[in-house]
Amino acid sequence: MGFAENIRETLKIKIQKNLNRDYIEKILGIVGSWPVLPVYGMTFASKSDKYLNIATIKNIKKAYCQKYPVAYGSLFLPYELLHSLDLVPFLPEVMAGFTAGIGIADKTLKEASARWYTPDLCTFHRSASGAVELNLFPLPQFLICSSLACDAAQKTFYIDAKKYNIEDNFYLIDVPYNKTADSIKYLASQLEDISTNISKKMGKQVDMDKFKNTIRLSNEFRYWALKVNDIRKELLIYPKNFNGLSFILPFHGLAGTKDAVVVYKNIYFELKDFLEKQKGSSGNKKSGSNIKIKQDIGKTKRILWLHLKPYYKNNIFEILENNNCRVVFEEISQVYWPELDGEKPFESLALKMLSHPLNGSVENRMAAILEMVRSYRIDGVILFAHWGCRHSNGSARIIKDTLRNNNVSTLILDGDCLDKNNSSEGQILTRIQGFMEIINSEQS
Amino acid sequence: MYTCGVDVGSVSTEAVILCRDNKDSNAKGRIVSYVIIPTGASSKDAALKAFEEACMKASVSKEDVYSIVATGYGRINIPFANKNITEISCHARGVLNYFSGIKTVIDIGGQDSKVIKLDGFGSPVDFLMNDKCAAGTGRFLEVMARALEIKLEHFGEIFTKTNEKVDISSTCTVFAESEVVSLIGQGIDKNKIIRGLVYSIVNKVISMVERIGLEEPVCMTGGVAKNLAVVKALEEKLGVKINIPEEPEITGALGAAYLAK
Repeated sequence: MGFAENIRETLKIKIQKNLNRDYIEKILGIVGSWPVLPVYGMTFASKSDKYLNIATIKNIKKAYCQKYPVAYGSLFLPYELLHSLDLVPFLPEVMAGFTAGIGIADKTLKEASARWYTPDLCTFHRSASGAVELNLFPLPQFLICSSLACDAAQKTFYIDAKKYNIEDNFYLIDVPYNKTADSIKYLASQLEDISTNISKKMGKQVDMDKFKNTIRLSNEFRYWALKVNDIRKELLIYPKNFNGLSFILPFHGLAGTKDAVVVYKNIYFELKDFLEKQKGSSGNKKSGSNIKIKQDIGKTKRILWLHLKPYYKNNIFEILENNNCRVVFEEISQVYWPELDGEKPFESLALKMLSHPLNGSVENRMAAILEMVRSYRIDGVILFAHWGCRHSNGSARIIKDTLRNNNVSTLILDGDCLDKNNSSEGQILTRIQGFMEIINSEQS
Repeated sequence: MYTCGVDVGSVSTEAVILCRDNKDSNAKGRIVSYVIIPTGASSKDAALKAFEEACMKASVSKEDVYSIVATGYGRINIPFANKNITEISCHARGVLNYFSGIKTVIDIGGQDSKVIKLDGFGSPVDFLMNDKCAAGTGRFLEVMARALEIKLEHFGEIFTKTNEKVDISSTCTVFAESEVVSLIGQGIDKNKIIRGLVYSIVNKVISMVERIGLEEPVCMTGGVAKNLAVVKALEEKLGVKINIPEEPEITGALGAAYLAK
């Protein structure tokens, strides 16, 4: 283990041993302070990871420091809204991923179980609820969730609101099934009402200039994300430890912030550099100037990853790479929404929500997947079927059948993103390896 | 010159030595020897023991085996293997030795069951595995045979003695064992219980076959293929003839030996 890994491992162990909100706040206060944060950022192997981790720590620290109003938000919210209202978003589902990453998910899940959260509920929500019960998360002033795709947050956030005695500050955004002029209007009016209501509770008025600025930043992020996605159509060699499945926050909690722009701008320039090196070394297995190219690029199989990944320590992606397969794109990295209009923020954000491929008919998701398969010249698709995730797993059959009709092999990989005890490592390994053998034999 | 395939399963480990002598067309592709031993506590030790015993049985020195492929759940950490390949590809290749054009392989081993769809030329195109429990596997039958105090190999003969069965409602092997003990206590005919148990395992496999899509010809591999009761019930439920290799338990190791380059 290198020096950087040692630091991160030490921090994990410290949190594991002192499992309470104050201690987490203290650690974040130290790691997130100047000049510790930039130094901490330097412990990551790539610029992409460095800027992502700096932005993540900075924003989580802000949520814990008790100086700003915090709002819990479910994953599929338009976070531009929260930033425009000067709320600090805290995403319990994303933070649940961190519970697995820092090795405390067994404790949060155990706590949830003791509080009657049933085992067939998705572990993202169970772990988050366990963390709330253990008083590990920052105290919120508001809790906002939507009915988009995932239905568990609607229930668990309300339970959280009751625990914090702020039921009146619980908001549910009802997202219509279809994208029509009427549904945009209906959704936009909800977003506007919520903004007015929250602003009133905070003793101020909705600041439309703030909305304009947030929308501008959101569009800037969109611009860089599209450029990154464009580069990835060709890119097969990546910075060490780069994993597109780690970049959830810029698309969600950081949407509409300068941080999201900085992260993606840096990813773009780093990947552009790698693409140039790749082009310079094509056909040459040996190293480029400072980038070692291990694999035979011409033979690399291109994988599209659907849904999320396990956040506990695992070697799935290492196995893929060692078998000449590379995840060249992920469903969560898709820029699915049109440019937003700062003059019409609520309508724009409503349209963004309604454009999400997971909203409405499964045909929407399927169309998005087929588009990704074409754009990224995909050889095989892996759908990680996370335990308890109805909105994703419910589409498994149609995804497999449709892709088969398009001559693309699909692996439905049953597992659990958070609970390593709910997945058999050996079975996952055999499934992935078997799938790669099929793809390789198809192409040979 | 020879290749070897070692299939390290949860219950048993098999090793097959295959002649790959290009000079002798009669001998090339011939199974020179095979062994089946219990895996026990150490998959590494079992793999080495099976390999050494297979070499000894074939009167072949280890040095004459130029390539070894490990397969099965214990395939990862076999230090003397040149490569590891999944059971999926190995069973697909192994059945080619016995039958041509196979499109569906049903492999029921000790701790997992698989359905593999083939292209008809020995390459897998899709597969399904059972979930993380022993229901629908050989281990399930073993536990039930112990509860019934009847040898597993007698299931086939008993299966034909009655057309009646009692449904076993428990999926979990441990709960099913309790259910069986309770049925015995109620004085239910053991033959009916056995028939119920066989259908219980078969129904789980059939749901996988249906998901992946049944295509003939069908072949069954793995230790449970030796259990005539399961084979008969599968044939009856699927309405197809199931081809069984001469020694179904070594199919994975044989495929591994073929895939060793």
